[in-house]
Amino acid sequence: MFAQTFVNGLLLGGVYGVATIGFSMVWGVMGIINLAHGAYIMMGAYFSYMLASRLGIDPFVSMPLVMAALFCVGFTVQHLLLNPVMRTSVLLTLAMTFGLELFLVDLFVALFTSDIRSVNTSYSSQALAVGPVLISYVRLAAALLSLTLAAFLYLVLTRTRLGQAILATALDREAARLMGIFPERIYNYTAGIGAALAGAAGSLASTLFPISPGLGNSFIGAVFVITVLGGIGSVTGAVAAGFVYALIQSFAASYLGVNYQEIVAFGLFLAILIVRPQGLFGKRFFGEV
Amino acid sequence: MSGKRQLILATVLLIAALAAPAFVGNYWLRVLTTVFMFGVVAQGLNVIVGFAGYHAFGNSVFFGIGAYATGIGMTLGLPVWVAIPVAVAAAALIAAVLGWPFLRLRGHYFAIATVALNAAATEVIINIGGVTGGAQGLPLPFSSLPPTLLYRIIYFAMLATLVLATAIVFWLSRSRLGYALRALRDSESGAEVMGVDTVKAKILAWTISAAMTGSAGGLWAYWLTFIEVGTAFDISISVRGYIMMLLGGMGTVIGPVIGAALFQLVGDAIWSHFSGIHNLLLGALVMAVVLLVPQGVLDSLSRLRPPARRPRRAAEA
Repeated sequence: MFAQTFVNGLLLGGVYGVATIGFSMVWGVMGIINLAHGAYIMMGAYFSYMLASRLGIDPFVSMPLVMAALFCVGFTVQHLLLNPVMRTSVLLTLAMTFGLELFLVDLFVALFTSDIRSVNTSYSSQALAVGPVLISYVRLAAALLSLTLAAFLYLVLTRTRLGQAILATALDREAARLMGIFPERIYNYTAGIGAALAGAAGSLASTLFPISPGLGNSFIGAVFVITVLGGIGSVTGAVAAGFVYALIQSFAASYLGVNYQEIVAFGLFLAILIVRPQGLFGKRFFGEV
Repeated sequence: MSGKRQLILATVLLIAALAAPAFVGNYWLRVLTTVFMFGVVAQGLNVIVGFAGYHAFGNSVFFGIGAYATGIGMTLGLPVWVAIPVAVAAAALIAAVLGWPFLRLRGHYFAIATVALNAAATEVIINIGGVTGGAQGLPLPFSSLPPTLLYRIIYFAMLATLVLATAIVFWLSRSRLGYALRALRDSESGAEVMGVDTVKAKILAWTISAAMTGSAGGLWAYWLTFIEVGTAFDISISVRGYIMMLLGGMGTVIGPVIGAALFQLVGDAIWSHFSGIHNLLLGALVMAVVLLVPQGVLDSLSRLRPPARRPRRAAEA
């Protein structure tokens, strides 16, 4: 029981990590809390579902396509809707992304109805038995892929010119401008990458959970908590906090009951916000928000 | 929009609101009562967001507390005119106590902490059970008054609450506290240096805000006669109030009222004609407001006329 709970939490943690990185990065770099992040995850899940049900492409294979599509969505939304608003007040972006979330979720209800759908692969129900513990192949693959994506993003941020420009803009927007970086353009790319990661999380989620237009809502609360837990803007923090959160949730659900899993999560969240707003792992990766 | 014109507009609206029940049917009476209710919520947000600059997205927690305290009070046998003031006091007290840790958080952190507070309150009500009715909801004692009279009384009570809330905001706009809040909104350390007790001012602002929101919630509970956590602590109550405040113009005196009326009436037109995709249109409306009239419609309207003299606006910008 203990080992199984531990493994379940660990496997889910990776997906939570990927779902959070994009959100955390957008918040850290631009100061935008993207309430539509959950809707992006939901869109990613639906794209995967479409590709799987119409063209028969496995969600793990179609993931790059989904990420590319979501990149375009995030980029365009930032360019057309968010950059103009950021010039007046960053806090107004909260209202903007709230509106976007309402819009997107209802759009998908109109397009796909609220029926619950799922992606079934030939290996969906198979599991690896290690002693008394069962490890589902899908969950294992999702967790490993999550870690790979996180590592890839970390390398992009630290090793490429674009990554350096994103970090520079996050640290000091005006100084970055003096170095020949256009902050607006960097914001577009950052939002695109954030959305692409949400798409990846959606892709992974489509193999694990039933899909409905409300899928994002079940993620956004966890994403918030993990972001704050890991330190806003931190990639490694988001991944580590994703595991911590998933383990806490998994243990709370099996030892206290499912009703308590949200109370524990929110209690943790409030405690962290008040006692340690810089996150569990301290160091602020990006600029002050 | 100048203070004088705002005053004229407010007077005209008030006369229209007082006369309306004589001319309209039950449907419009209900729509207008809802407009007033959201007007109060929007004014509550105006105090904490528009004046103090603390974006309390989860202010709906005080709506829920007002509703539940009223419901519990009436279940325990208090008459409604005692239960609602007690509920308002409860909401204000909770805001004053929670204000100390919460208002130390800035910007986004505060906004999210209030959202989490709202979610936590929901869970607490469900898990306490007992007198709150838990997940089953809480039915309030029925009134012996005939429904038509009762709905008229609630209409005027909601209107009176809105007038009172607007009067408080008007007082705030020219009081010492109001200046202190606007100073700390623009620069907290700057206000501190100028001798403003920022902690006290912020907590006072949130307490006033909570009292307003709580009174709307209390009246709403009495109006509905049945409340449950999902609807009483619905985050969309404060988000709508936020949008209304934004639409009318935050930090103005009657802006939030205008915003509430515009949003609710337009929303109602959308609701009745496009059932099924109303969130889609609502979301599009929110995005359009933020993109096109971020300073509020009052401001946009006054820009249509040649500006006479606007030294105040220049100082604010």
